[in-house]
Order: sequence, then structure tokens, then C-alpha cells
Amino acid sequence: MSEAGEASGPPWRSVSLRLAFFYGVLVTIIMMVTVSIIYLRTVTVFYRNMERQVSLSMGELRARFVAEGGASLAHEIDQQLLYNASEASDLFLLLGSDGSKLAGNLDQAPQDPVHLDSSGRTLVVRDGRPAIAYLRLSELPDRSRLYVGNDLRDQENLESLVASSIALASGFALLLLGLGLFVFRAELDQSLEPLRTTLSQVAAGDVRVRVPASGDRDEFAMLGRDINRMLDRIEALMGGVRHVSDTIAHNLRTPLTRILLGLRDWADVESLSPERRSRLELTLREIEDLIAVFEKLLQIAESEAGGARAQFGPVVVAAVVREVLDYYEVLADAAGARLWLDPAHDVEVRILGDADLIAQALANLVDNAIKYGGAGCQVSVSIRAEAGLVAVAVSDDGPGVPVQRIGQLGDRFFRLDPQVQGHGLGLAAVAAIVATHGGRLHFENTQPGLSVRMDLPRHLP
Amino acid sequence: MPSLGMADINGFISPWRCLVIEDDEANAGHIAKAFSEQGYEVHVCSDGSEALRLGLAEIWDLVILDRMLRDGVDGLAVLAELRRRGRAMPVLVVSALSDLDQRVRGLKAGGDDYLTKPFAISELLARAEAVIRRCSPPAPNRKLEVADLSLDLFTRKAERAGRVIPLQPRELKLLAFFMSHSGQVLTRKMLLEAVWDYRFDPRTNVIDVHVSRLRNKIEQPGEAQLIHTERGVGYRMRAPVEASQDSAG
Repeated sequence: MSEAGEASGPPWRSVSLRLAFFYGVLVTIIMMVTVSIIYLRTVTVFYRNMERQVSLSMGELRARFVAEGGASLAHEIDQQLLYNASEASDLFLLLGSDGSKLAGNLDQAPQDPVHLDSSGRTLVVRDGRPAIAYLRLSELPDRSRLYVGNDLRDQENLESLVASSIALASGFALLLLGLGLFVFRAELDQSLEPLRTTLSQVAAGDVRVRVPASGDRDEFAMLGRDINRMLDRIEALMGGVRHVSDTIAHNLRTPLTRILLGLRDWADVESLSPERRSRLELTLREIEDLIAVFEKLLQIAESEAGGARAQFGPVVVAAVVREVLDYYEVLADAAGARLWLDPAHDVEVRILGDADLIAQALANLVDNAIKYGGAGCQVSVSIRAEAGLVAVAVSDDGPGVPVQRIGQLGDRFFRLDPQVQGHGLGLAAVAAIVATHGGRLHFENTQPGLSVRMDLPRHLP
Repeated sequence: MPSLGMADINGFISPWRCLVIEDDEANAGHIAKAFSEQGYEVHVCSDGSEALRLGLAEIWDLVILDRMLRDGVDGLAVLAELRRRGRAMPVLVVSALSDLDQRVRGLKAGGDDYLTKPFAISELLARAEAVIRRCSPPAPNRKLEVADLSLDLFTRKAERAGRVIPLQPRELKLLAFFMSHSGQVLTRKMLLEAVWDYRFDPRTNVIDVHVSRLRNKIEQPGEAQLIHTERGVGYRMRAPVEASQDSAG
């Protein structure tokens, strides 16, 4: 069965899926890089700004204290809180050396050490409500303590906003990816379908079909045109070969007829001496033999050209086998051999083929088995239906074939025993017939004997 | 070889008229000679238009038709035209084109038989006689008789001189073919095609073994021989001379 005829494999073997997957990985990487940049550019920068703002503010307030004293500092803090009331993200707390609150919008000093973690986040109580804050502490020269910080509620709002935007964007991207994959695969399949259909028809022996032309100028249209050019060439070559063999056939057959008829005419002349007549008869037999070889070769060539496929129809294999066995039984009897059909065969199984050709192939195999098996040999024929094919085997218990020569069986003009009458074309003809049916021929030494099996597919690829 | 004379082949008053359409002169000569020797009246022509003219203008008992003619006409075109104009004479197509497809085309175009070159003249003669007789068959006989041998096709019972002969189905078919062509030479190829429906030549003596078995059944010691071997050609069934009856004639 040809590759082109295969059904599509599991979905993960699909090129379109693999391409889409690699494309998806690429998109994910790009997305992660973009997201990282956005995150850095927004959240981190915002945080740094806030840190700098706090530290600047702390510096200013310390300078105020140094220049104008604690009361002025407290006043300044109150002023700033007054101006910034609406924003309400700045946090201040000034504690006297005794720990009493002098100014600020925090209820009390944080109980834990100020820096809960390295980022300076801490839990504070503001207007009776707990809040997460970024808080710095500075000890003033008069042992009073100044806290300056920033409520992190905005920062957190921003972070969650960015995070949810990223999640939303990612989800949307994945959705697009899935959709793209589907479209991608459908598009590929649609572009490949005409190519596959055409090629499987060609594999089945019809070289006249072409990939349907499309007006597009994409890769598949170009591939289709390339395939069509290749098919044009193959068809021309096959036509050439066929023409040559037809011409050879015609130009040899006509003179051969002339020779045959002319010699036969001479052999019928009554005044011929018995010696001349017998010589003439011998020559005639030689020529008839030559013609037989010639016909066999032509027939093999015709089988290989696959022309017979045009007339293929359903064939009940068992019926053909029974006919051939019926025909050969008398020969087996006369040769002291036993010829039988394995009773366990499948009676109804059909294949698409030519009954006459299959009978011919089987006749050759049975003939060989009886000829080489020797007196008293057992020749059995079995028919087994397997997945997608029918295996017809002819087995004998004769001397078999030396292992090193088994590979030569089926070669044209190969003869195992030159003493036995024949031309070395029988198995070559069988091989050609089996190939016409899209099947395979197997040889196996069964010790004793030889088993020849024809695997014939039920349908042409 | 002396002419066999009319009565030997068909017992008709006038000889069978045979038109040989063949572009190779030597082959046409050999064929014409062989048919003349059998008592046919033979006319040879080598191109398509002449063949069509003759085929339409005169009455023929048999046409031997080559595929490739001198003026480049395919013999099958001549045949199709003859058939189209209602000429129903038996036509034996002879061709150098051999494959199965060609054979089918030859028969579809209206040929009664198809023979591939090169052929033995005996094969051609035997087939020619068979197509002539097939095209003017006697009333279909339920019961075939040759000498004291009889075969009832309906009850499938064979008898010779009152002795019932048990036959396998295939033997029965072979015997029926012999009996319905009694007096005619039947080649091995013809037997293969008619009895086994094989278009190929297994090239062994299997067919001879089949015939010999049948012979053993119908010809017991002391009984006259009915199936005769025609050396180098095939077989012929005929009644012993003293019984001189010919079921087909």
C-alpha cells in the first residue's frame, strides 16, 4: 500500500499541529518578554518613585528639624497633611523622645521593627484601620523619632491591575492561538487534499490524472504545478515505453508468424524425407519455444505497465483457487503428488483484481510445486484473510530452495535447476501479476519444502 | 496435400467463402493456401477500404481480419462498420496486439474470436471452423449423441451402449464441448477457454491429462475410439467410420 493512500495519522503527527505548536511557543516567549517589560516599566518604576519620594521627603523634614527645631517640624508635617489630604497616601508620624505623638496621620508607631522585610513594607494603623505601608524611620538628634512613608494601597491596586491585564491578554492570546491552530490545520488540509487525491490515483496506476489547477500563486499551487509537470513527464515516458513495446511486439510478431506458417507449410510437403521432416519439426519446436519466451516477457511487461487495472473487478479468491486446484489435481495425481486446499480457508473474501491473472499466477505456483516437489510430495494451498489483504500461500514439502538463492527467485531467467525444463519466467510472471494487484510476493523455506505467499490487498491503494 | 473436398468439412454443396483481410503478403498467402487446402473459397485483400467494400458487397461465411491494415486503418474500425450495417458473418480477428485489453476491444467491436500472432495455422483453422459453426448453430440439443455415446445435458447423464458413465462436473463440461463440436479439431487453447474459461496457456500437459481421464471413462477396452489426438494440434471427437454419423453436420 502506498504512503499516499494512508489515512491521516494521530493528530499529534500532523505538520500543521507541530507548526502551530512551535508558533505558540514563540508567541508565549514574546508575550512573556513583553509582559516583563511592561511590569518593569510600570510597577517597579512606580515603586522606585515612591521610595525616592519618601526618602526626599525624609531629607527635607530632617533639614527642617535641624534648621528650625521640633515645633517647626510638627507644623510642617501638619501643613503637608493638610495639603495632601485628598491624596492621602503620604504617611507621617513624629514621636517625641518620650514616645508621645507630636504630629502625623499614623495612630501609633508600628510595634514590630520598622522593616518587616527588605522592601521596607510594614503593617501600620492609620485612622484606626490597619494598612500596609512603606515606612522609613529616622532618629532625630533630640532622640525624637520621625516616620515617613507611603500607603501601599495604590501600589497594590496598580499591581493587581497590571496582573489582571496580563492574565486577560494571555487568555485572549491563547484563545487566538487555538483558533489559529484550527484555521491553520484546515487551511493546510484544504491545500493538501487535491495533491493527496491526485497522487493516490497515480499510485493506483492512472497517470492521466492531474492536480486541479488553482489561480493562486502560493506554495501549494506551485507544488501542484511541479507535480503536474512531473506527471506529464512520467506519462510521456510510460507512453514511450508502451509504444516501443507495442511496436516491438507488432514488428516481431508479424515476421514470426511468417516463419512459423512458412516452415509448417514445408513440413507438410509429402515428398520430404523423414530425416528432413524431423529436423524441420525440431526447428519448429525451437521457434515455438522462442515465441513462448517472447510472449511471457511481453506479458510480464504488460502486467508491470499496470494496464490490466482498468478491468479490475471483485474477485472471490477461494473460487479462483478451487478452479485452479480442480484443473491441476489430475496432474498431481499423475505425478504421484497430493494437492489440497487448506480447509480452514476463508470462503467469501474478495479482492479487487483480475480473476484470469490471479488464476495464472496461482497456476504457475502450483505447477512449480508439483514440478520441483518430486514424487509423493504434498502441496497445500491456504487462503487467509488478514487486515486489508488476502494471503494465498502455496507450500510443498519438497527439497526447497537453498537459502542463499532464495533472493533470486522471481528474477527473470533465473532457474534453480537448469536440468528441469523451463525458461525461468514463471515466478517473474507471478511477481509481475502480484505487483499489478498492489501486493507482495514472499518466499519462505519451510524445511522441508518451500512456501510461496502472495499478499493481495483487498482494495487498490 | 490434396484438397479435402467439401463433404469432409461441412457436407454443404457450395464451399465456404472466406475473406482474408491481412496486410502482410506472405502471411496472407500462407493463410489463403491453408484455407484453400481445406476446401474454402478464399479471397485476399490488404487495405481497409477494399475490405469494407468487399465485406459489404458480397456474402461471406467467414472473415479473417488483421488489426493493422495497409492504409493505416484499424481492422476493428472495418469490423464495427460492417456490424453497423447489419453484416452478421462470423469474424475472426487476428492481431499482433496481444494484451487482455486488446482482446476485449476486439470482441466488443463484434469479433467472434480473437487470435494473437504468431499462431499455428492449425489453431487458426480449428478456430475458424468453430466460429462458423457457432454462428449457424443447429437447434440447441438437449441430448448430444456421437456414435453410441449419448449425453443428456438436462439430467447430466452420460451413457455409452447402455452403460452409465459417472462424470465429475468438469468432465461433463469437457465431454459436452467435445460432443457439440464433433468432427471438428479442437486445440488445447480452445478447450482451456471453453471448459475452464482460462485465457492463458499454462503450458503444461495438464489438459492432456484431463482428456486422457475422460477417454478412459468413455472408451472402455473393446469400445471404438471416439476422441482422437491430432498430432501437434489438439483433439477431435468423431464417430467410428462404419457408424459414419456426425451430430453437428
